[in-house]
Amino acid sequence: MHISEGVLSPPVLVAGAVLTAAGVAMGLKMMDNEKIPRVAVLTAAFFVASLIRVPVGPSAVHLVLNGLLGLVLGWAAFPAILVGLALQALLFQFGGLTTLGVNTFIMAMPAILCYYLFGRSITSKHPSVATALAFICGFLAILLSSLLLAMCLIFTGESFMQAAKVLVLAHLPVMFLEGLIVAFCLGFLMKVKPELLGVTHAAG
Amino acid sequence: MLLASYPRFTRRSTSILALGIITFLTLASQVWAHKVNVFAWVEGDMIFVEGYYPGGKKAQNSLVEVYNGAGAKLLEGRTNQKGEFSFEIPAREDLRIVLTAGMGHKNDFTITARDLGGSETSAQEPVPKISETVAALPATTVDVGQLEVMIDQALDRKLEPVIKLIRSTRKEGPGVTEIIGGIGYIFGLFGLLMYFKSRNRSK
Repeated sequence: MHISEGVLSPPVLVAGAVLTAAGVAMGLKMMDNEKIPRVAVLTAAFFVASLIRVPVGPSAVHLVLNGLLGLVLGWAAFPAILVGLALQALLFQFGGLTTLGVNTFIMAMPAILCYYLFGRSITSKHPSVATALAFICGFLAILLSSLLLAMCLIFTGESFMQAAKVLVLAHLPVMFLEGLIVAFCLGFLMKVKPELLGVTHAAG
Repeated sequence: MLLASYPRFTRRSTSILALGIITFLTLASQVWAHKVNVFAWVEGDMIFVEGYYPGGKKAQNSLVEVYNGAGAKLLEGRTNQKGEFSFEIPAREDLRIVLTAGMGHKNDFTITARDLGGSETSAQEPVPKISETVAALPATTVDVGQLEVMIDQALDRKLEPVIKLIRSTRKEGPGVTEIIGGIGYIFGLFGLLMYFKSRNRSK
């Protein structure tokens, strides 16, 4: 889900950077001192999850976890994903520094959407409903990211329908996997540290 | 009240979830990684190009374009099932090989004129040539051109394991050092942020 350098034209890169800057500013504004350690931990999780690939036959699966970040962090997902991607670009040459803005937006925007759709209400639902919602949250985040990525690729000459089809199909296993992970994490957090989810809502 | 019912719910579903995750890991056969790599090497008169993702998955049916030093496109083609593409050396100058794997993945590799030198056609090569060295020797009866071809072939043969080694080491993903380092950066960065935020507050 990382767009490489030299693929997109400058106007698209600038647009992505501007949108990301706005999102990061919003995220930083909403991030108080108590929230910072949580953001740090989830940034680390994002950084690692997208890095460590689980080999499956000749291929490999990697996670994005943007649904989880949105659910727990809200707007702070923007700075978290920006930092994670910047380090991935610097340390591993994944994506690139010029595409940082676009890539952050592609992964963070669905996270914010998930936050508004599920993040505020999910803890007040019945556990089984909450689990189902968490699954949809993880699934939807990747689906939306794939579609956003396809939209960015229109400008490189790939047709949207074709790019979207390929991307969504390619990420289908990740969507299911992330849905399960978010559902699992929600259950775990509700059991071990419910205030992690609750505090977010009070603050957001 | 709802919170109290969570432990039961998690215990029951944990095993199901774990099973599900394992199932999907095994089912997931086609997922794109973050980055495409391209590596090219010279063998005789041919240039071989290989595209792959971290972890070794091949970049199949990817567009390969070859540009010269001035930026003009010399030729293009697509990688085969093994992620490979080969072509005859179009010009003995710096060649930039660009691989576009679609979905925003792109990378390039440069073969320098020096890498392409050493063959009989490279008359403009500034590097001291075998033909000159050999010609300078008295009483040489070996055909110079033939000798060069023989040396090239021998070198290709001898260097094959080295090239293979380079190809395989380049396929390795990020190491533990980088991963741990990255996590360190993250905590350091947020630690700094916390420091500055708390300092502003205490003022």
